[in-house]
Amino acid sequence: MSVSSPPIHRPIKSGWWNSRTFRRFVRHRLAALGVVMVILLTLACVIGPYLLPYNDLYIDLRARFSPPLTGYHFLGTDPLGRDIAARLLMAGRISMLVGFAAMILSTMIGATIGVVAGYYGGRIGTVLMRFVDAVLSFPSIFLLLALAAFIKPSPIMITVIIAITSWMEVARIVEAEVRSLRERDFIMAARMLGLSNRWIMFRELLPNAMGPIIVAATLTVARAILLEAYVSFLGYGIQPPLPSWGNMLNGAQQYLQSAPWLAIIPGVAITLAVTSFNFIGDGLRDALDARSDLN
Amino acid sequence: MTRYLLNRLGQSLVLLVLVSMIGFAVLNLAPGGPLSQFALTPGMTQADLDRISAQMGLDRPLVVQYADWFWRLLRGDWGRSFRDSRPVLDVIGGHFAATLLLMGTATVISVTIGTWVGIKGATKRYSIFDYAATVGAMVALSIPTFWFGLVAIYIFSLKLGWLPAGNMYTIGNGSFLDYAIHLIMPAMVLALVDVAVWSRYMRTATLDVINQDFVRTARAKGMTPRRVLMKHVVGNALLPMITLAGLQVPTLLGGALVTETVFTWPGMGRLFLDSLGYQDYPVVMGLLMFSAILVLLSNLAADLLTAFVDPRIRLT
Amino acid sequence: MSDKHRNAILHPNRRQALAMMGMVGATGLVMPAILGRDKAHAAPPSAPKGQVIIGFSQEPTVFNPHMLHIEVDEGIHFSVFDPLFNVDPEGKFTPALAVEVPTVENGGISADGLNWKVKLRDGVKWHDGKPFTADDVKFTLDLVVDKDFRSARRAGHDQVRDIKVVSPTEITWRMEKPYAPYASILAATFIVPKHILEPEKDRNTAPFNNAPVGTGPFKWVERVAGDHIELAANADYYGDGPYLERVIYKYIPDLTVLYTQFKTGDIDVTGLQWITPDHYDEAKALEGKTVQVVPGGTVESVTFNMEKPQFKDRAVRQALYHALDKTTIIDALYYGLPAPTETYMPQQSFYFNPDLPKHEFDIEKAKKILDDAGWKPGEDGIRAKDGVRLSFSNSTTAGNHIREQVQQFMQQSFKDIGVEMTISNLPPAVMWGEYWMQSKFDSVVVGLDFLTGPDPDTSDYFLTSSINAKGGAGQNTWQYSNPEVDKLLAEGGQVFVPEERKKAYLKIQEIMRDDLPFLPIFQYATIRGRKKGMTGFTPNVNNRIDSWNVGTWYWEQA
Repeated sequence: MSVSSPPIHRPIKSGWWNSRTFRRFVRHRLAALGVVMVILLTLACVIGPYLLPYNDLYIDLRARFSPPLTGYHFLGTDPLGRDIAARLLMAGRISMLVGFAAMILSTMIGATIGVVAGYYGGRIGTVLMRFVDAVLSFPSIFLLLALAAFIKPSPIMITVIIAITSWMEVARIVEAEVRSLRERDFIMAARMLGLSNRWIMFRELLPNAMGPIIVAATLTVARAILLEAYVSFLGYGIQPPLPSWGNMLNGAQQYLQSAPWLAIIPGVAITLAVTSFNFIGDGLRDALDARSDLN
Repeated sequence: MTRYLLNRLGQSLVLLVLVSMIGFAVLNLAPGGPLSQFALTPGMTQADLDRISAQMGLDRPLVVQYADWFWRLLRGDWGRSFRDSRPVLDVIGGHFAATLLLMGTATVISVTIGTWVGIKGATKRYSIFDYAATVGAMVALSIPTFWFGLVAIYIFSLKLGWLPAGNMYTIGNGSFLDYAIHLIMPAMVLALVDVAVWSRYMRTATLDVINQDFVRTARAKGMTPRRVLMKHVVGNALLPMITLAGLQVPTLLGGALVTETVFTWPGMGRLFLDSLGYQDYPVVMGLLMFSAILVLLSNLAADLLTAFVDPRIRLT
Repeated sequence: MSDKHRNAILHPNRRQALAMMGMVGATGLVMPAILGRDKAHAAPPSAPKGQVIIGFSQEPTVFNPHMLHIEVDEGIHFSVFDPLFNVDPEGKFTPALAVEVPTVENGGISADGLNWKVKLRDGVKWHDGKPFTADDVKFTLDLVVDKDFRSARRAGHDQVRDIKVVSPTEITWRMEKPYAPYASILAATFIVPKHILEPEKDRNTAPFNNAPVGTGPFKWVERVAGDHIELAANADYYGDGPYLERVIYKYIPDLTVLYTQFKTGDIDVTGLQWITPDHYDEAKALEGKTVQVVPGGTVESVTFNMEKPQFKDRAVRQALYHALDKTTIIDALYYGLPAPTETYMPQQSFYFNPDLPKHEFDIEKAKKILDDAGWKPGEDGIRAKDGVRLSFSNSTTAGNHIREQVQQFMQQSFKDIGVEMTISNLPPAVMWGEYWMQSKFDSVVVGLDFLTGPDPDTSDYFLTSSINAKGGAGQNTWQYSNPEVDKLLAEGGQVFVPEERKKAYLKIQEIMRDDLPFLPIFQYATIRGRKKGMTGFTPNVNNRIDSWNVGTWYWEQA
């Protein structure tokens, strides 16, 4: 079942709840739950705004600070009297889109650097991986804020900034994977056939490292959503009136006493989304890596 | 060993130079500049701003500025803050203690709780507790730290009134209890993510050990499960724990920055945000370098400690 | 005590005090710039007693008053240093280190405005015990124009020539040309000690800058970085006070926390940025606290870049003004606290023009103005004329929540008259750098303090030669150019008698109201709180800081 031979596993107690099947089921149930939640969230954000009677940008100063479940606004209103439900769903579009886009971009950067470093090894590999180490040795939040504080914020810029501060994990994973694949027969064969380096790297090596990349990518979505939220919370991220889950929290601390729902609602949305992606990532890791299944 | 050390140090230095170049470029290529915050001072004119910029040497080419900064750094001069013209190291030093206190307390909390949860989860594998801990850890990793801080403030400060909403101590009251009361909420919030990391880690580590032959032998020889656990599991897991602690430093530092912003904790994170806001480049650069050095040193220390604790590992 | 300056505003008699209190009772808030110390209730203690903790939301870090600094730093400057003369809440000068304020009448300033003579107080000592003399004044005036010193401000000082120390208590100089605003500049020029700073090789990094020595009512004790600054009473102070043993400036980086600490009594007085408007209702009901609304000199406006084709037409600016719902912005978003205004001049100023036409919020009128001017709605509903779409961006500092709310509200109103406004907010460093100074923006929401102290001169903002984007060196970022205003400003700057000066500035305000290079929204009013019994707190629209007179504060005795 697996290439390496893990120590034989002996359950300490036995019972129906610790059978491997059940464990898998639970594991997969979490992953499945994650998938269902992501689908629901996505559907809500895509379709929801059309079903709500309010526009996320419509300002009604007479209705400012309406608490949830009172009056016409299901989740209440914000300091400008805008409907929070409508904003939450529109914000979901932005936040999840930024998360996905940042994931794709950072995975591309990370995979490219990783595959080049792993395939060529030697000096190129060392230099590239030292560079990865250099970026990693910043607490990335410092770098992220330093970048965001000085660059005109737009969803695209925020995506790019998040991507360039979160590609390193992927690069490391891909490099390690490629380094071990490099010496395998099929790569040797490809070399003998005289295939170009580029072909070998992107058509042979990368597809074979796809498993770990997908796991890392899923976890990156979760991370990117968190980062966007934090940067926007500090006011350096997505700018209003465009809502994002993070910028809905921006300024909420000020109203924590008088209007706590401003802080609570978007936070719950973020936690839900991030948890879902983490569940999926974890499930995928189990499914793809036989060894970790035993832990 | 010496060669390994030299090698690692050399690599670290190259890293630091890279870090400094990235940081310097990011800060200085951005529009604005350290004087723009004064633009709205009554009576301020472009002529004054230009003159002061020239006096501060900010009109020189970037490469020259970097070389100057780097050359000074080599001689131990980290420069002076644009804000209060104090040496950068003094400025950072003043805030480092607060961050260290927060990070230290958070680590103690997270290691204690994490170890307990991890070992209990591993020994009672597939119990309700184990599942709850696994799912809980995952959720803890997913909650935005700053939001968790807000919710904690809402519940414990605003609703229950048990704990202060921010700051490190009450003015005019520097007692231990006062510090502790201010520390508890930010430390718990910062510890949250780490509890998850530690418990997951300890669970794996404990499982690894439990399944090894010598543990089974020990149990066969009649040692109580508790003693087996204490002697072998904790003893064996200690080693990787040290490494992990070293590797957790950047995450913890990032987390501290987030936590400090919510709880107005006067540490390095707060200083970093303030300095960014005031365009105090020397301090921002200093903080970037300081944290990078901290991270590199903690990684190195983790390696060395590992080698020291476990003679089987030879550093070459 | 005999030489201590007194005036009716600072020290009202009983009847005046009661009248003021009556006003408080009637309106619930105190709107005039002045609130007298109530002599009827208490007298200051005979010796310094107690301490006051003032909370700031920014950290004071620059203690050399002549270096670039922010508002909160001036809290320390006013406590530790003295200028030659101060400005009182009415805009009148009151002597400090000078024995009397030089004027044309008393011969301190020659009739042509060129020769100045200042008599100094005798027997004043620096905090380290050394005597203060005219040499210190000369040193200070030289320092601010020293080419190696990073002086924050040179304007005015660079006109000074031939400084002569006549005697330890008398100094004279000549001005290159008559410059009326110089008195106001001097009132903000704190005198620093020659004997400490002169020997320093690099005055930009001198130890003095982190442990200032002055002549003021309080002495430097220590600074705990990131936390607080402690000052102690100067027992040898020559003037009124000090009546407190200690003043502590506490840095609390978050306004909500600042308010909470005021509420719990951890701080006695709220300093910059005071109490946020959303806490006003709660704050004024607090037991044991005095909370008042105090006007500031800053004017909030929507400013236009007049070189952008959208804004060249005055009809557009006028239409936008009619579409600006000032009342709702002030009432709903600012809780009705600030006062609407039609001009850049604070309403407390002697030079304020009260006869400007009142703003009318009228969407139909706005539409009609645009229709008449030939701006016709296009297919997308946005008006256009000669190929110019009436669409522009509006920027301000990212993170200023209430202002961001104002922008979004404006956006909705402007849309109603067929004008598209997009919001493009920037981090502070980017916003107030080239983007602002070199006029790269379309429009901006900004709060500006146009005056230097009480002086009505606004040359840096309105002169054609102050347009940075056209090679000037000022802060005329809207690129406003009007020969008549240029002429009036030049005239006004050379007249030394306030009553005669006034005419020019009333006219300038009239022209600005008509031309509208910026739409005035309101003059700032902020909510300031202090513990009951804290006496002497006197708002002063001419200074940026509440503790400008902290030397005369004291705790009312039970």
